[in-house]
Amino acid sequence: MGGNQPIMPETDTAIFVSCLTVRFGDKIPFRDFSLKVASGERVVITGESGRGKSTLLKCLLGFTVPETGVIRIGGTALNGQTVWRLRSRLAYVPQEPELGEGALRQWFERPFSFKTNAHLKGNLSRLPEFLEALSLPASLLDADVETLSGGEKQRAALIAALLLNREILLLDEPTSALDRKNSRGMVDLLRTLKDVTLLAISHDTELLTLADRIVPFPEAGA
Amino acid sequence: MGAQPIQSLALASFYLLLIIPLGIFLWFRIPLLNRTLVAVARMTVQLLFVGLYLQVVFRWNNPWINGLWLTVMIVVADLSIIRGSDLKTGRFLLPLFGALVVGTAIPLFAFLGPLLRRPTLMDAQYVIPIGGMILGNCLRADLIGIRTFYSALKKKEKPFLLSLAQGAHLHEAIRPYLREACQSALAPTVATIATIGLVALPGMMTGVILGGANPATAIKYQIAIMIAIFTGTAVTVILAVLMSIRASFTHFGTLDPEAFRKPNRK
Repeated sequence: MGGNQPIMPETDTAIFVSCLTVRFGDKIPFRDFSLKVASGERVVITGESGRGKSTLLKCLLGFTVPETGVIRIGGTALNGQTVWRLRSRLAYVPQEPELGEGALRQWFERPFSFKTNAHLKGNLSRLPEFLEALSLPASLLDADVETLSGGEKQRAALIAALLLNREILLLDEPTSALDRKNSRGMVDLLRTLKDVTLLAISHDTELLTLADRIVPFPEAGA
Repeated sequence: MGAQPIQSLALASFYLLLIIPLGIFLWFRIPLLNRTLVAVARMTVQLLFVGLYLQVVFRWNNPWINGLWLTVMIVVADLSIIRGSDLKTGRFLLPLFGALVVGTAIPLFAFLGPLLRRPTLMDAQYVIPIGGMILGNCLRADLIGIRTFYSALKKKEKPFLLSLAQGAHLHEAIRPYLREACQSALAPTVATIATIGLVALPGMMTGVILGGANPATAIKYQIAIMIAIFTGTAVTVILAVLMSIRASFTHFGTLDPEAFRKPNRK
């Protein structure tokens, strides 16, 4: 279910978006967009570039505030007070991730220095497992993040998201910089996840095979 | 023995020394001629005004007037920082004023109280020049610190947003940028402290010696003022950034574009 019709939330809904309109000055990336993603469901959104798909994910994270509409994460309305709590239920892999500075090892460890994640520090023990699943050598942990290729950054960003062990995974073109082999490796890893709700933006045919549902994104301003 | 007075005519003639740099600008076509002439004119008017005003202030030596003058200095510094950082005045006037007050007051009153043991803390002869020195350096440090903080956030927005997405609270997500701001703002003072006296006698020492004190006293004043300046700048930069956050971020933890003016670069 997705598109321009308002929908009513249900109790097992992980992501609920109703009649969302985003405006940047005169530009309206999308208008009255609605979407419901059930807990544990895997939904992939497709559509032409520049239509506002990434903006949708940014709305779910509170980075873009919509002009109108309702967003609920696990039944809780997203606003300036709840967003700090709701982000601890989401894991995000941005398109073309920028990792900042420093060694990759410190970059993986940094989220666990945040108060919200301190109790999850033990999850770092899964780092070797995820590195191997995504064909990243352990020696990369000592590399400066600025020296990583686009594909390595994308895989690192996914690992960081998985280490947080969140209920909901938001992926923005996670395989765009990967070759076919690594793309397949990423999809195989995502396939092993249990009880994780997935909302991804992608045109990758490999990733589309993972989806329970494919939602075409409406045209700009539609 | 106080400083030797300078005759007004002699000072007026001393302006002729500026022919050298102005001549260099003209010869090499360095586009600073007009700006320099305006700056020198402003300096002359401003210092004459301050000199006249301070003569009155020193004569009265009223603690309330002295406090008012210090407040005026802080407000002027506050507005300079806001203008130089392209921030909107309404939002940042009070937070940055608070940062400057705390950053100046702590070392100033430590200097006048426990160090000099002045019978009155608000004695014009001490509170205005020492307060002015600390405040001037706080202004410089705040300007660098605030500009570095916000320009780093704007330039490296993606890692900041990713930190928020990973569950960071705002004060956790801004920490790398706060570190960068402090480093940029305080590194020049650290460098100055490390090399002071090797190249030239610093201002405070010069003033104290010209005023008739012996060099040993002058050195103690200089050491104390450097410690005061460094403490004040460290306190004010951290406070300025932290206190500006409420005015510059939305409830969602993102930078509020409404907090910034469009840059006015001439």
